[in-house]
Amino acid sequence: MIYNGGGYYLLGKYSKHSKTLTLFIIMISVFVVISIFLPGKFLTIRNFQSMFSQIPEFGLLAIAVMLAMLTGGIDLSIVATANLAGIGAALILTKFTFPQIGGYEELLTIILAITSALTVSLICGFLNGILVAYVGVPAILATLGTMGLFSGIAIIITKGYGIIGFPEKFLLIGSGTIFLIPVPMIIFILCALVAVIILNKTTFGFSVYMLGSNPIAARFSGINNENILIKTYMMSGLFSGLASIIMISRVNSIRPGYGSVYLLQAILVSVLGGLDPSGGSGSISGLIMAIITLQVLQSGFNILSFSPFFKKIIWGLILILVMVLNFYSAKLSQKSIKRLKTN
Amino acid sequence: MLKNNRRFKVQKLLKQNELYLFLVIIAYSIFITSINSSFLSLENLFDLGKSSAGMGIMAIGVFIVLLSGGIDISFTAIAISGQYIAANVLIASGVDNIFFAFFISCLVGVALGAINGLLISQFKIPTLITTLGTASVFHGALLTIVGTKAINSAQLPDCFKVFGAKNLLILTKPNGVNYGLSIFIIIFIVLALLTWLILKYTMLGRGIYAIGGDINSAVRSGFNVAKIQLFIYCYVGFLAGIAGVLHISLIRYSNPTYIVGTELSVIAAVVLGGTRITGGSGTIIGTIMGVAMVTILNNSLILVGLSSYWHNFFVGLIIIMSVSITSYQSKRSIGNIVFRR
Repeated sequence: MIYNGGGYYLLGKYSKHSKTLTLFIIMISVFVVISIFLPGKFLTIRNFQSMFSQIPEFGLLAIAVMLAMLTGGIDLSIVATANLAGIGAALILTKFTFPQIGGYEELLTIILAITSALTVSLICGFLNGILVAYVGVPAILATLGTMGLFSGIAIIITKGYGIIGFPEKFLLIGSGTIFLIPVPMIIFILCALVAVIILNKTTFGFSVYMLGSNPIAARFSGINNENILIKTYMMSGLFSGLASIIMISRVNSIRPGYGSVYLLQAILVSVLGGLDPSGGSGSISGLIMAIITLQVLQSGFNILSFSPFFKKIIWGLILILVMVLNFYSAKLSQKSIKRLKTN
Repeated sequence: MLKNNRRFKVQKLLKQNELYLFLVIIAYSIFITSINSSFLSLENLFDLGKSSAGMGIMAIGVFIVLLSGGIDISFTAIAISGQYIAANVLIASGVDNIFFAFFISCLVGVALGAINGLLISQFKIPTLITTLGTASVFHGALLTIVGTKAINSAQLPDCFKVFGAKNLLILTKPNGVNYGLSIFIIIFIVLALLTWLILKYTMLGRGIYAIGGDINSAVRSGFNVAKIQLFIYCYVGFLAGIAGVLHISLIRYSNPTYIVGTELSVIAAVVLGGTRITGGSGTIIGTIMGVAMVTILNNSLILVGLSSYWHNFFVGLIIIMSVSITSYQSKRSIGNIVFRR
């Protein structure tokens, strides 16, 4: 009896950590293989800096998708939200001027732009949350609709043109470095830490996981599902907004539709990172390992100058391969549970 | 008894999404016609039908997948693969026959669909994830292996052009210009009928509904779920193959980056037609009306005088409103105990 109990416990531990462990091994081996095959080209400070400047905006969007997927939903509107928020900020940065107050007006404009971008993204997330929680629309449809709506508003505002040319101080957010570390990376690490703390150390985070694994049980255990869902989608919106600030400041422009490839890649990375698409399980650490793996591969492919189409094949294959591996590992652990039971 | 029965039928009709959608389409059409009288002419309707037949055929495929509780976003990649490979094979082999083109395109479609079906049925990978991955692989492989060069009108085999211009019924306007009912519309109607027959009168069709309703119950009632899923995704591939050939015949040009990117609007059309994304419920009539609604919306903005910038906004708004109404109704009727995500 006791042995069985111990066995179950160990198996539980194993299956909980096996995904993270597999990912870790994959990440390290990809890193090692690329370093060996591309000597002197991969392990350079410049290459790492370029990787570090690409990870944040994409990583923030991936966290946004992940949050929605943890509740068993999905957020297809992240890139549209980011675009709309970015356009809001860009309009303020280019059109709005404070009266002269001793050299601080540029700073004030930047602060106002960032605030408005985050507000826009929160409103977008709030709308998603209302639709999913109170109206009861399946998340994939609600966010499909709002994706059209947000990108539509973005196109109407800009008439499809890009907005370019921001103040130089604003560009530091996207391209500055502190002790050789790009600023976006620092922002990303801080945001990821906040997300980890919220998900793992707060009641809200626990409720998100519970809601994702079984909404009915969550409801009966006294969780206000609607409230949690709205907050989650607002958080998802907020992360998209943060991504948009980094994005527009890195490329010094914004146009509607920018970064639309990120949507599918963000879902891909979430699933690679061990997130259960039906909700309730997944961790930021897994997500980050998946992002790093992909980025290392990406930069390796760039050095080898692979065509973007060939990369597309590899992303798809990796996604499917990981899912097939997950299938076999789940089967294996089920078998060993059975064996334990018969013993 | 009879009276009761009739009342029940009326009540059932009132509950159906299709009726409301139909009324919305009629009202909207009258509205546009009042602004621009050329909208409700037979010529314009035939034109709309011809240009949306390809989308309609892909929508039928999406409809079946949604019915089975899955989702497919790789069908556009399959359609363009079928189209581009067929066009290239025809050019390389010198065979100038539209049936051969359909054969190649559908063969490619079924083969790629089978890959989806096998991954989904054998490895139990969620359908969204599978097709997300395969869409990327299919399209990447097409561009890497087959090529990235567009086939222009001069290189295009004549059979596509002849087929694209083929009309079954030719009418003449008062000013002497001919217009007609394109063969595309007939193909679409035949495929819709075929799908309806499969769903309504075969064990396979019942199985598709059963899987969508509850996959565990379907297994216990003896349906071979793996086989049915394989069929579904092969059928989607087959339909996508046909849609690919229609597309190239319509625009007389083939670019391997076309079609891909329209998958969400096709899914939106199907969902607009009342098909539940959670599976098990939906009708082919609703799907056709959903496609009609999206097509009319796409084509009417300019007629109404709004710039095309408003397109995304309106499509998004209409999706949100229509799914909100149906979801809110079903949420209220089921009550608060069952929570919908």
